[in-house]
Amino acid sequence: MAVGGPAPHDAAGEAEGSAEPAGRARSIRPFLLTAGRVSGRGTAPPIPIETQVVSTSTGLSVLRTLTFEHHDIIAACRRPQSVAELAAQLRLHLNVVRVLAEDLCAAGHLAVHRPNAGTAQDLSVLRRVIDGLRAVPESRGTLRDSG
Amino acid sequence: MVSVPSPSHGAHSATPAEQPPTPVKLVIAGGFGVGKTTAVGSISDIRPLTTEAAITEVAAGVDDLTHTPGKSTTTVAMDFGCLTIDPTLKLYLFGTPGQDRFGFMWDDLVEGALGGLVIVDTRRLDDCYAAVDYFEHKNIPFAVAVNAFDGEVGDDLDEVRWTLDISEHVPLIVFDARRTGSVRDALLVVLDVALSRAEAAAAT
Repeated sequence: MAVGGPAPHDAAGEAEGSAEPAGRARSIRPFLLTAGRVSGRGTAPPIPIETQVVSTSTGLSVLRTLTFEHHDIIAACRRPQSVAELAAQLRLHLNVVRVLAEDLCAAGHLAVHRPNAGTAQDLSVLRRVIDGLRAVPESRGTLRDSG
Repeated sequence: MVSVPSPSHGAHSATPAEQPPTPVKLVIAGGFGVGKTTAVGSISDIRPLTTEAAITEVAAGVDDLTHTPGKSTTTVAMDFGCLTIDPTLKLYLFGTPGQDRFGFMWDDLVEGALGGLVIVDTRRLDDCYAAVDYFEHKNIPFAVAVNAFDGEVGDDLDEVRWTLDISEHVPLIVFDARRTGSVRDALLVVLDVALSRAEAAAAT
């Protein structure tokens, strides 16, 4: 039973300017949760980090029967969010979340919306992002003190 | 291994409560302490979040990405934020780890990105070679932004461009990572590069 893939040491101490305790991942061996599996080992490439995931009504209906991380993911994904946000919120290693999301998707509990490959070259998308950014004000005021 | 259909709606075709937005991303790169997280925080709708990500580190530099000896995977903290453009479009900003003079590969993070912004501290220009090299090799639209700590830029921009060996067509700007408007403008420079490139591609 080889535990494949990255064996994450607790390297979080290098985090740039992120003293907030919220950011720290748990230091238990994260890939125990996935029985040693890592994302993207099969035919499909790993889910991109911005991939949106959202619980299905099936997933929510069986929420009480789910345990541990499966439960936490389905509960957290009542609203759509990216796998990166999900990992940060649950303080799980990103690649652990990817594996668990694929499992939950296969079980019908989670919808995984892989981004379209061509989006980055899509002129209308680029123009909308540019227009959206232009609308950002000069200052955000009270949002936060400083990074 | 179960492959994931794209997009997948689960086996029971349950309708999610909300249709997720289309996600797009920009990558913010640069050396340790150069202001990546500050820049993300200045423009993000949310406080920057942190997640643990695995990156492939290349000990020998990135001069030749196709033959990379000594690859090893390492886990690093990655800070990110997001900006809701409209209910159907959400921009993510990922501050890529890579805080030392080692080369690094972020294929996993950068795949599908609209573009990249390399943040530079003129006191430590060495720290950003790897990022500049990476984006050039990967042909990803990018710009280089000198973070004006305390409103001062040590060297003039021509010298920075020469030292970093940045091509003429790559925009080089000065910005302040602490100011929302300044970060916004820096990201717009990156998106201009991305848009012109996409327009040129569409015209052929």
